[in-house]
Amino acid sequence: MSHSDDTQGSERAGLSTPVGSRRTFFHWVTVAAAAVVGAGLAVPLLGSLVSPAFMRRKREWVDVGPVDTLPAGRPTQLDHVTTVRDGWLEAKSQKAVWAVKQAQGEVKVFSPICTHLGCGYRWDDTEKKFLCPCHGSAYDINGQVLGGPAPRPLDVLPSKVEGGRLLVMYQDFKSGLPQSVEL
Amino acid sequence: MPTRLYDWLDSRLNLKPVQRTLLDEPIPGGASWIYVFGSVTLFLFVLQAATGMFLALYYAPTPDHAYDSVRFIETEVTFGWFVRGLHHWGASSMVVAIGLHMLQTFLYGAYKKPREAMWMVGVVLFLVVMTFAFTGYLLPWDQTAYWATQIGINMVGTVPLVGDFLSRVLRGGEILGALTLSRFFAIHVLFLPAILIGGIALHLFVLRRVGPAGPWTDDRASLGSETFAPRQVYMDAVVIAAVFLVVATLAFSIPLPLTDKANPSDTSFVPVPEWYFLFYYELLKYVHGPLEPLATWVLPLCVILIMLCWPFIDRNPVRNPIRRPVALGSGLLFLFVVFGLLGISLKNLYAVPRTDPAVAQGRAMYAQLGCAGCHRIHGEGGAVAPDLSTIGDTRPDRAWHLKHFRDPQSVSPGSFMPKFPLTDQQLNDLTSYMLSLKRAT
Repeated sequence: MSHSDDTQGSERAGLSTPVGSRRTFFHWVTVAAAAVVGAGLAVPLLGSLVSPAFMRRKREWVDVGPVDTLPAGRPTQLDHVTTVRDGWLEAKSQKAVWAVKQAQGEVKVFSPICTHLGCGYRWDDTEKKFLCPCHGSAYDINGQVLGGPAPRPLDVLPSKVEGGRLLVMYQDFKSGLPQSVEL
Repeated sequence: MPTRLYDWLDSRLNLKPVQRTLLDEPIPGGASWIYVFGSVTLFLFVLQAATGMFLALYYAPTPDHAYDSVRFIETEVTFGWFVRGLHHWGASSMVVAIGLHMLQTFLYGAYKKPREAMWMVGVVLFLVVMTFAFTGYLLPWDQTAYWATQIGINMVGTVPLVGDFLSRVLRGGEILGALTLSRFFAIHVLFLPAILIGGIALHLFVLRRVGPAGPWTDDRASLGSETFAPRQVYMDAVVIAAVFLVVATLAFSIPLPLTDKANPSDTSFVPVPEWYFLFYYELLKYVHGPLEPLATWVLPLCVILIMLCWPFIDRNPVRNPIRRPVALGSGLLFLFVVFGLLGISLKNLYAVPRTDPAVAQGRAMYAQLGCAGCHRIHGEGGAVAPDLSTIGDTRPDRAWHLKHFRDPQSVSPGSFMPKFPLTDQQLNDLTSYMLSLKRAT
């Protein structure tokens, strides 16, 4: 039957291959085709991979309550509730920020995180100090360091008053640095 | 080519013989455009693997998150919609490429001795690819995915004796749910790729042991041979690039909207399988009652077994199709039946109320404009304006609706419906939605 000498026979009979400019043409068309497919895939695939690295979270002004009920000269803890997007998930994020109404009526809002290593601090009304329970950092009512390992004053959050309501934009800061650096 | 790097590597790794084995494979009768389909199929597998890996960066295989994560890919991830489109159209293209590859092999009698094993491995690869398609269809976890898979698994359940057991294994229990989704995901992205890569390796191993079949001429001694590179490589590359551009264009221009999130309690949903399962879907409409298992498993099993053993059924050594009337006739009959069913099915599909994107847009607009404040559809909404539940039957005239939305009083004097400032596109979508509201058939 013809099957026994199927490929072997013809292989021995002579193997032709294009040479010269024809060969070069085939070579370059192949390279061009590979480049089209390669680039056409690399851009969307790698784009989808790295794009989250360029996304910044949107910061929003959040209404934390009326200004006139805040007692002047005494820090008050206010709830700061936002919806946080985590990929396809949406979660409620609840933070408690410290608001201090000044004598002139303007309000200073502190991040609730100690600048040393990121613990939550509290206001001690008898000592009139912000005290951090973790490593003993202490701040005065203006956020200035009074003692302990804290490297910088309390971080101030952007805030404004609109129509009698206090609006606060929450931010995270790097801990342990001598100056405020937003995360 | 960076020749110096190649020489450096060659002097250490002795690459020349490898290069010769890979590129100088003899092609009897010379290179041809008709031989490209195997390479195209292999390329499409690589495309599916690559796009699948990148989709897996964002996909979460649980009923709680699958739908939202796919919607996230579609709307939020940069190029996500495009990568998903490539994966979707790549799957369809792969079925087409395999079909053409098998058709060419069949027509050229290339499955005959000594290449029976290559054909049989190929049939297994084809079945693995169809399993890929079936398992991948569930992953978006929308209504289509859920109900199409429900039907697919129930069909397995009709197999006598073991059917119930098999469908429980597929579902991972009694209900289609979390366990089903995670096992379909694992099968789709871990098990099947491993099996497919092994099968491809075997397929190519057999090819390299027996060599390509070449033309169907009897006078094989007179055939010259040509090396695989550069001409066959060039032909493969050109067709691969063309196929990629077609897939990319489809992915770019045709949106793939999700239907609603899978809802096991909504039994009114009419799922439609992918086009390559449609012929089978159609077949099941003609077989009822005690004969149903015949269509759900006896017939497919027979067809698969015949395909698998075809080189031993067709023992005629002649390869020229003109001189193989029986084989050619059975092949044509098979194609006629499959494409006939596909054709009928496609025709019927347009009679079934499907959620076409315009209807979905129109429905969203209906909700957004607050139409339900006055109108009622299937018991939901106000009762001060006409009930729209079957408006598609009572007012099937598209032009009437378009005119009515622009100015309700012009066609319906005395109507207190307000005019809405809508774009032409919005008018069309809203009208499509109205026309889709018909009595259930």
